[in-house]
Amino acid sequence: MIGVIALVLTDAISIGMMQQMLTNQIGADAGYIQIHRKGFQTDPSLKNSISNASTVKAAISKDAASCKTSERLRTFGLVSSAYNSSGVSIVGIVPDDEKDVTTIHKYVVKGSYLRDNPDEIIMSTSTADKLRLELGDKVVIMASRVDGSVGSEACRVVGLFETYDSGFDQTHVYIPLTTAQDMLGAPGRISEFVVNPVNPERTETVARRLEADLPAGFEVLTFKQMLPILVMQLRLYDQTIYIFYAIIAIALIFGIVNTMLMAVIERTHELGVDMAIGMSNRRIFRMILTEAFYLGIIGTAAGLAVSLAVYVPLSRSGWDLAMFSESLNSIGAGTIIYPVLKATTLINTIVIIPLAAVAGAVYPALRAVKLQPVETIRMS
Amino acid sequence: MDTEKSSSNIVRVEGVRKVYHDNGVPVDALRGINLTVSPGDFSVIAGPSGSGKTTLLNIVGTLDKPTEGKVFLDGEDIASKTRRQLADIRLRKIGFVFQAYNLNPVLSALENVEFTMMLRGVEAAERKRKGLALLEELGIGELAHKRPNEMSGGQQQRVAIARAISNDPRLVLADEPTANLDSETAVRLLELMERLNHHDGITFVFSSHDPQVIGRAHRLLILKDGQIATDKIVQ
Ligand SMILES: Nc1ncnc2c1ncn2[C@@H]1O[C@H](COP(=O)(O)OP(=O)(O)OP(=O)(O)O)[C@@H](O)[C@H]1O
Ligand SMILES: [Mg+2]
Repeated sequence: MIGVIALVLTDAISIGMMQQMLTNQIGADAGYIQIHRKGFQTDPSLKNSISNASTVKAAISKDAASCKTSERLRTFGLVSSAYNSSGVSIVGIVPDDEKDVTTIHKYVVKGSYLRDNPDEIIMSTSTADKLRLELGDKVVIMASRVDGSVGSEACRVVGLFETYDSGFDQTHVYIPLTTAQDMLGAPGRISEFVVNPVNPERTETVARRLEADLPAGFEVLTFKQMLPILVMQLRLYDQTIYIFYAIIAIALIFGIVNTMLMAVIERTHELGVDMAIGMSNRRIFRMILTEAFYLGIIGTAAGLAVSLAVYVPLSRSGWDLAMFSESLNSIGAGTIIYPVLKATTLINTIVIIPLAAVAGAVYPALRAVKLQPVETIRMS
Repeated sequence: MDTEKSSSNIVRVEGVRKVYHDNGVPVDALRGINLTVSPGDFSVIAGPSGSGKTTLLNIVGTLDKPTEGKVFLDGEDIASKTRRQLADIRLRKIGFVFQAYNLNPVLSALENVEFTMMLRGVEAAERKRKGLALLEELGIGELAHKRPNEMSGGQQQRVAIARAISNDPRLVLADEPTANLDSETAVRLLELMERLNHHDGITFVFSSHDPQVIGRAHRLLILKDGQIATDKIVQ
């Protein structure tokens, strides 16, 4: 029973954590589909930005009804204050469009989100701390222009954000798209288009369609390609959970071996009498396996009941792991974990535990069958 | 010794010896037993403690194997049977009554009686009907739903007898069935067994120390040092 609880809850929490890492990353920055110029993925520099944006816009517009899109121009640059400077990704966005595809606006904890004034910038609280900046302060951003010279711009800090992922926070600042294009001498250029199907299940379909419609020279990436490590982790987890099941099953088998062995030893006398009055070995064997099976069923039911009692409220309110928040933030899961219980977890539990119980009863049943009625009756 | 009707013997024991090994020391529990039991017999095996009564009954009941010699039940050599076949023989042909009653403590009187019928595959309604009828016949019908620990020794032993005869066995073996009972209860129990023997023709072989019990047997076998010293019809 404890095994069941442990299994179900750990599984739910881990899956919840993994999925959160994924949706967080998709939500805050990546989106479900991105379109770049070919080569951007390996070398995300200005030279790999898209100059013929209208081609892409035309392709995207076919799905306008079922997708949200935004455009970005991003480059690597420097943010400097009077005290310090920091290397970051400078991301030019269309604030209203970006709101539709990512959640960065929700993470603004101080000040406001970008409001379309050309000289605004938002950055994370940790970057601001590092540069000793307050809301309203001016910063200078610098980056290479398309022609190779250095472009710079003075911006005013209007908002500070704090996402679930401290690594992301330290490396991203946002400015309006047109400001970025001006500063970089790249009018009309776009590094990436983000396309979010309203129904995320359609990600693959939409991506394939875009790929077919766009001429050569573009790459269409889904989150699975953009966040390969995370997706792989999720898949790996799906596999490792079976190892976990195996461990629980083995622990359970030992538990049952113990319990049933005790039951056999305690009932040695009764079993001996049953055999003396004509109960066959086969029947004794079956009886003990059946008992273990029922024990397994009862244990599973009780374990599931407790697990669900814990899970249901937890999945609504989330589990605040503030005490481990440092490490959780650094892996991008956020501090509040919403466990996710999958049907397969339940089904596996319901199938595996009673079977393990029966398996664990085989040895005690064999022991029972070896009893000699004469000896057990003599003991009385 | 004209009890032999060789064709219809229920039990035939030929030259049975039993040697136990007690910490490596051989103990001759039975030293050459020859014996037949015919249908309708009501026999007692008497003899001092350690003379081999229990050993003999266990061997006849297929619970133990002789070191030497042969045992036939209904003309069949039990040495040739598998464990499973022996369990089936015990279930269908032999009823057991033990000194310590040995009822299942978690089952009611009726359930204890039904258990052997259940093993034989008798259906529930018939089991219940017959179980109640037997308990009634043995004068403990009102205890049907009580557990063994709520009953006196004599009552428990009646339940054990009901269980022993529930499958209509050819033979009932009882090892000191009255040893734990006071003599009045012991005599009443014996009267009951006698009645079952007389009316229903059930064959009994039991062992006892108790002179009052021994005196009621129709055939007396006295064991001494693992051998039959006396075998006579009393009546
Ligand atoms: N399992 C055993 N191991 C060793 N010796 C045994 C074993 N069972 C019985 N014996 C010995 O065999 C002999 C016969 O024992 P048995 O129990 O048949 O006698 P009994 O006539 O039933 O005695 P009692 O009247 O005390 O019940 C005794 O000497 C006993 O000590
Ligand atoms: Mg004895």
